[in-house]
Amino acid sequence: MSTTTAPAAPPEQAPARRRFALPGSLVRNLGLVIALVALCIVGYVTAGDRFLSTDNFVTILRFAAVIGVVSIGMTFVITAGGIDLSVGSVLGLASIWASTLATQTMAGQVHWSIIVLTACLVGAGCGLVNGVLIAYGKVVAFIATLAMMVGARGLAEMISDKRTQIVTENDFLDFFRGSPLGVPMLVWIFALVAALGWVLLNRTTFGRRTIAVGGNPEAARLAGIRVREHTVALYVLCGLCAGLAGAMMLARTTAGSSTHGTLYELDAIAAVVVGGTLLMGGRGTIVGSVLGVLIFSALSNIFTLNNLSISAQSVTKGAIIVVAVLLQQRFASRSLSSP
Amino acid sequence: MSAPLTLRRRLMLGAAGLTAVATLTAGCTSNTPAPDPNQTTTAAGGGGSEGNPNSEPGDTVVIGFSAPAADHGWMGAITSAAEARAATYQDVDLRVVEGTNDVNLQISQIETFINDGVDAIVLLPFDGAALTQVALRAMEAGIVVVNVDREFSDPNAARVTVLGDNYGMGVSAGRYICGELGDNPDAIVAEIAGIDSLPLTQDRSLGFNDGLATCGLDVDNRVAADFTIQGGEAAAANLLQAAPQIDAIWNHDDDQGVGVLAAIEAAGRDEFFMVGGAGSVNVMEAIQAGDTVLQATVIYPSTQAADGIDLARLAVQQRSLNDFAEVEVPRLVQLYAPVVTADNVEQYLPTAFQS
Amino acid sequence: MVDADPFLTMQGIVKHFPGAKALDGVDLDVRPGEVHCVLGQNGAGKSTLIKVLAGAHQPDAGEIRIDGEPVTISSPVAALKLGIATMYQELDVVDGLSVAENVYLGHELSTGGLVNRRAMNSGARALLKQLGHPEIHASEEVGRLSAAGKQIVSMARALSRKARIIVMDEPSAVLDAEEVANLFRVVKEVTATGIAVIYISHRLEEIRQIGDRITVLKDGRSVATGLEVSDTPTLQLITLMTGRTVEYAFAARPHVDPEAPEVLVVEDLGLEGVFSDVSLSVRAGEIVGLAGLVGSGRSEILETIYGARRSSSGRVRVNGKRLAPGSVPAAVRAGVGLCPEERKSQGLLLDEPIYRNITLSTFARFARGSFLDEQSERRAAKEQIAALDLRPGDPNRDARTLSGGNQQKILLARWLEHGCRVLVLDEPTRGVDVGARAEIYALIARLAAAGTAILVVSSEIPEVLGLSDTVLVISEGRVVHRGPARDIDEHRVLDLVMEGRAA
Repeated sequence: MSTTTAPAAPPEQAPARRRFALPGSLVRNLGLVIALVALCIVGYVTAGDRFLSTDNFVTILRFAAVIGVVSIGMTFVITAGGIDLSVGSVLGLASIWASTLATQTMAGQVHWSIIVLTACLVGAGCGLVNGVLIAYGKVVAFIATLAMMVGARGLAEMISDKRTQIVTENDFLDFFRGSPLGVPMLVWIFALVAALGWVLLNRTTFGRRTIAVGGNPEAARLAGIRVREHTVALYVLCGLCAGLAGAMMLARTTAGSSTHGTLYELDAIAAVVVGGTLLMGGRGTIVGSVLGVLIFSALSNIFTLNNLSISAQSVTKGAIIVVAVLLQQRFASRSLSSP
Repeated sequence: MSAPLTLRRRLMLGAAGLTAVATLTAGCTSNTPAPDPNQTTTAAGGGGSEGNPNSEPGDTVVIGFSAPAADHGWMGAITSAAEARAATYQDVDLRVVEGTNDVNLQISQIETFINDGVDAIVLLPFDGAALTQVALRAMEAGIVVVNVDREFSDPNAARVTVLGDNYGMGVSAGRYICGELGDNPDAIVAEIAGIDSLPLTQDRSLGFNDGLATCGLDVDNRVAADFTIQGGEAAAANLLQAAPQIDAIWNHDDDQGVGVLAAIEAAGRDEFFMVGGAGSVNVMEAIQAGDTVLQATVIYPSTQAADGIDLARLAVQQRSLNDFAEVEVPRLVQLYAPVVTADNVEQYLPTAFQS
Repeated sequence: MVDADPFLTMQGIVKHFPGAKALDGVDLDVRPGEVHCVLGQNGAGKSTLIKVLAGAHQPDAGEIRIDGEPVTISSPVAALKLGIATMYQELDVVDGLSVAENVYLGHELSTGGLVNRRAMNSGARALLKQLGHPEIHASEEVGRLSAAGKQIVSMARALSRKARIIVMDEPSAVLDAEEVANLFRVVKEVTATGIAVIYISHRLEEIRQIGDRITVLKDGRSVATGLEVSDTPTLQLITLMTGRTVEYAFAARPHVDPEAPEVLVVEDLGLEGVFSDVSLSVRAGEIVGLAGLVGSGRSEILETIYGARRSSSGRVRVNGKRLAPGSVPAAVRAGVGLCPEERKSQGLLLDEPIYRNITLSTFARFARGSFLDEQSERRAAKEQIAALDLRPGDPNRDARTLSGGNQQKILLARWLEHGCRVLVLDEPTRGVDVGARAEIYALIARLAAAGTAILVVSSEIPEVLGLSDTVLVISEGRVVHRGPARDIDEHRVLDLVMEGRAA
């Protein structure tokens, strides 16, 4: 083990052990960076400057932004040992609710940000229902959020009558269409949410509680942590992210639709798991999730650029998920069997 | 929403002329009686017959193509017909991207086409309104955008729009049923619709009512399914329970029709005849064989994206439709919804789609 | 039979794991019909040895012979074919299946591809009868059985496999005294038929009762092989295991100041169907012990006081203030700390560093606003590590890598850091090896001397008596005796428990 590289481990006493304890997160993120760089090389070799242009990178990032924001919220829930299958539907519902005639009228009279606020509130509200069902109703997270997944989509269809709702509030669209410093607003929002998520998970008591609840809920409870309240807060946070992503989707498509975000729950879970967050909880990485999202977006982009067959991309995605989870299991079993 | 609708209605009135447009763009000689682009191209193998100046290769045109996921037989046929059509042209370089129902991904596909600087984009959007913004950007970048089947919310977002005729399908089906039952004012007519809340379903039903009204009939029993086989089966089973005696049924969609037929066979009913919708291979074969209640179907062409490829190529090469007085390719093309029966099925079978 | 040729011999077994040598030269020979005890502290390599025998791990060097023939145990299935059956500590029975289905798990009796339930039931019944447990129904769901019952099922499975050696990994850890006696009877019956038992334990008194010969492991080596139990004094075994002699006695308790304030007062506490009318008080500096068998309700009493279960009647006061029932945060805020029975599953974040485990109840105190201050946390953890002599002392090491005794110290450190006035200890030395136990005892006494009120539960009656000032004997969810610990001995406690049961 002493041969394991530990990139720039902060100086601590007993450095040999420090080296043993740390590389888990660092090296695995390094692995993702290497994977991403390898993908970029593949992109460059196969598509040349078409891949390596600024415009193309902006395209990749803009595509990644919406799923990225969803994935940040998902990272918290999974780190805490939960799962949220409803994020895609909640995104759709938020986009519908924020683009109804009533919301748009109010936004027109007061301020465009009412649209964003509505989407976030709808998301947080759905998260609250999820969290209360799970924490207080003792419904398994998989089932509770599955019910929300079906229910929110249905509600979105009812509100919209399955019609597309076009956004006419131009101030809203203009804000999101902007590109401060040449970077699109959606990408700024993704970066901001990721940065806040990183601080929240790694530097705050909220994050510590999240890891404790995911690592051993019973130990956390017996240590005096309010596990149920925290669980509710986590699902609200995840719903909030989905709601915000709904507003971003609204801006990107200029239209709300009950079909927005279909299957995003799976994309988000895939990105989070590939990123290195343990599906059983107790370990989470925002950087990993961001890299996971970027890997899938870059992959999508490379397939598009190379005019590749319709189904090969899905096969490749599946393979990446399997390989990542296999690596994760090896890692988990090694730490279990170490004497 | 209302503007495109009225526009469509207005165009419907001139349907005959537009049918001619489709015929011409397919590159057929004008004495071919019906539009049949796919068949012609596979037969001719070179994008058109002799003497048609438009079939001569021009500058190479790079066309990006994007459509929703092929989760429905008709949608799968859209992409394969477009690919087959493009393959007949030496001067078309077609780039097909993964079919997707995620508008976020479809937008980024179009953005990639813009980055690549393709000459034209043929786009069947999952959601017309959601793709309008990116289509406008493509137009601003000087790319010819051809909008297929599902309309953008802004007419400026496309150079050419190719549409089927949902209202016309209903009218055709209604008139056909009138022709068969017109002498019986008490005939029972049933309708199995698709997803009820979709505008296209509403258009079809409106047309059906208008068509039936020409002989004084109306819809006695109406149920809605969801374009899937299982949905069709469930809806038809309910309908057959509700109506012990039926004279004619119009089923909006041949994919869900597989389930509808299954329900009819399970119920052992054969006192009526059925008219299909869209025009799948197995429905046409059933019509040909004549051993089921299926007697006819109305076509909603699965070749409209193939037409889009033709129009995109011509628009980029700045050619016009020959046999047409106009200098430019038209702005809007709406396709005709003909009725297929045992008498003319031979003619339509080659362009039918596999459900 | 003791002189018979060995059935199994292992020689020079070595097993490496990345970064560590788990086994470094183990010799073992097992004769038919004997109970061969393998003794060693935690981390001595007992678990790895079992896994090698069970075919779960392949040794890197060394030789295994069965009936004198060299063999390779390539997989668990191969082990079973060779006649080696293993009963793991965390029993590998399937709760949702019936007793018979568990007995025949993996080699179901079938006729024409269909499971023959009747044959399996009658076969299982015969085996259970042979084991002296005809009261266990073959068709009962295993999940409804006690830990002892599950062990019997596991043993019946070994017999059904025609095992010639049964490896038992600390089987008594989950049993109370009565069940242990029962288990020993079964073991004797099994060995009488010529089957050998490898009995893994660190409880010396058990080994005296049941063992024929002993092999002692230390740091992955066999430091003594095949000692006759009857010829080996206990002290020698302790020395072999620990490499040093251990003072096993409890320090005499100083007198508790009768004027000291009653920190914890429990009045008429009850939990529907489990226990009722429990009243007790603990003064500052006092250690109160609860003695009783598994299932007497003693652990539930602790958990209810702590708020981990919601009481159905009665009150708990700390420093005169009543605690909200069923609220752990309320208890923690009032200064009550619990070291739970199942350290790993209820107490620790195994894959988190030691310092985060120590500050699990207090990290918010170190935080500025909502932002963690990990430097201060580490510093505080280091102080606790030094104060409790927690080893290894690197605060960044994962809790999983520590021994049982040091993991227990993490929990104690957590509550010390919190500044607890009341400590509730459930089985404080379970899974802690002999050497470290004395240390834990001394630590508990030191905490009491510093003024902490301590309430302790243990299934080892001498431990409760040795540690406590006052003892409450619990039977069937009721307090049947209360008095100074020095006025009562183990026999009297057992009598009281039995009387309580009879009542």
